[in-house]
Amino acid sequence: MPSARDIPALAFDAAAPAVRARGLVKQFGRRRALDGVDLEVPAGAFLSIFGPNGAGKTTLLRQLALLARPTRGELSILGIDALAEPERLRPRIGLISHRSMLYGDLSAAENLAFFSALYDGEPQRSRIDELLRLVELDHRRNDAVRTFSRGMQQRLSIARALVNDPALVLLDEPYSGLDPHAAEIFDQLIGRVRADRTFIMVSHDLEKGFSMATHALILARGQVVLSAPVAGIDFAAFRDLYLATVGMGVA
Amino acid sequence: MGDRETRRASAWQQYCALVGKDIRQEIRTREMITSMVVYAMLVLTVYGAALSQVGDSIQVMSFAGGMLWALIVFTSLLGLNRSFAHETESGCLEGILLAPVDRALIFAAKATVNLVMLAVVEFIAVPLFFLFFLSGAELAPTWPLILPPLFLGTVGVAGVGTLLSTMTIDTRGRDVLLAILLIPVIFPLLYACVSATSIAFAGVAGTFGTYGTSLVVAGAYDVIMLAASWGLYEFAVEG
Repeated sequence: MPSARDIPALAFDAAAPAVRARGLVKQFGRRRALDGVDLEVPAGAFLSIFGPNGAGKTTLLRQLALLARPTRGELSILGIDALAEPERLRPRIGLISHRSMLYGDLSAAENLAFFSALYDGEPQRSRIDELLRLVELDHRRNDAVRTFSRGMQQRLSIARALVNDPALVLLDEPYSGLDPHAAEIFDQLIGRVRADRTFIMVSHDLEKGFSMATHALILARGQVVLSAPVAGIDFAAFRDLYLATVGMGVA
Repeated sequence: MGDRETRRASAWQQYCALVGKDIRQEIRTREMITSMVVYAMLVLTVYGAALSQVGDSIQVMSFAGGMLWALIVFTSLLGLNRSFAHETESGCLEGILLAPVDRALIFAAKATVNLVMLAVVEFIAVPLFFLFFLSGAELAPTWPLILPPLFLGTVGVAGVGTLLSTMTIDTRGRDVLLAILLIPVIFPLLYACVSATSIAFAGVAGTFGTYGTSLVVAGAYDVIMLAASWGLYEFAVEG
C-alpha cells in the first residue's frame, strides 16, 4: 500500500500562509453571502469551516477554489495574489466536493487521463497508475464510473483532485452521502495524502470536522464568528459556541 | 513549484482533450446523435403527414428551404440541450473550471463538438429529406448550392447555441428557455439561410445576387456572433 510520501506534493513557500484573505465580500444582488471575511491559514494546516446553512461556507470555498471572484477584498493563496494571477494558481489547487466531478460513461482511468491532460497536456500515465493504486481502484480502472458505488466514486474523486498534485486541497462536504464504512476509508485516504498539503474543509459534522482539523472557523451570516487553532479549544466549549451561533437564527 | 509550471498544457492539447472527451462519451452512449436523428425522423414524418393531403397541387420546391431549416433548427435545439447534460450531472463542469483552461477554449471545444454532431445528423437527415419530399420534383441544377448556406447556418447555430445553452445550464425549464433565446437570436441567420437555400432549390435565373447577399449576411453573422460568444463565454460559464 503506498503511503502519503509516495504522492509528492509541490514545494511551496513555507513562510507565507497558504491562504490569506482580507475583507472578502461576495454580493449576489442585494444579498451579501460573504461580509468582510478575514482569514489566515498557515501552510500545512487543516482548517475546518463550520456554520449553519446559508452562512457562506460554500461561497467562501468557491472563492478559494477560484471558481468565483469576490466582489471586494484581497485574496492571496500560496503567496500569490489570487485575484491578479488566478491562472498561475489553478494548477496548485484541488477540490473534492460531495459531487464527484467525474464522467459516468468514462472509465476511472479515462477520467483521470482527461483531467491530467487539462493540467499537463499529455496524461501522466505513471501518476494515474499511482493514484489509482492509492485509492485502491486499480482493479476497476477500466470500468465505467457509473458502475461504481458512491464510496468508490468519492475515492476516485480524491484521485481526480490530486491529479495535478495540488498544494491546497479544498473539501466541500465530502462525507455527504457516504456510509460509515466509506467515510472511514475516505478518512484513511485523506490521512495518507495530508503531508505537505494544506486542507480546507467545509463540514456540517462538527465532531468529525473538529477531530481532523488543526484550525477551526465558524462562519455565520457571511462573517467569521471564530477562527482559531483547535489545540487551544475544548470540543465541548467549541460545540456550545457553535450551537449558540446557530441558535441565534443566523441561517 | 517549478515542476508544475514547466508541465503546463498548451491550449491545443487542452482543446483536444476537451473535444476527445465529448466525442468518446458520445461514441459510447450515442445519446445525442440517437435522440437528434430520431427527432429528425419524427419531424420528417410530420412533414409527410402534413403534405400527404395536398398531393401535387403544391409545389414543395417553393417552400423546401423553409422546411429544411425548420428541421435543422428544431433538431439542433434538442442536441444543444443535451450537450451539457454530462457536464452538469456530477458537477464535471466545475472540475474543468478548476483547471487552468482558458474559458474561451471550453467554448471552442463545445462548439466544435456541437458542430460535428449537427453535421452528422444533417448528413443523415438531409438526404432523407430529399428522398421523401424532393425525389419526384424537378430539382434545379443549382441544388448543390444549398451546401454553403447549410455550412454557414450550422456553424452559426452551433456557436450561438453553445453560448446560450451554457447560460441556461442552471436555469429552471432550460429546454424551453433555450428555444426562447435561440430562435430570436439566430433569426437573421435563419432568414439568410432559408433565402439562400430556397434560391438554390428553385434555380431561378436572376436571383443569384440575392443568394450571394444572403451568404454574405450569414457569413457576417457567424463572424460577429462567434467573436461575441468567444468573448462572453467566460461570463456565461462562470455565472
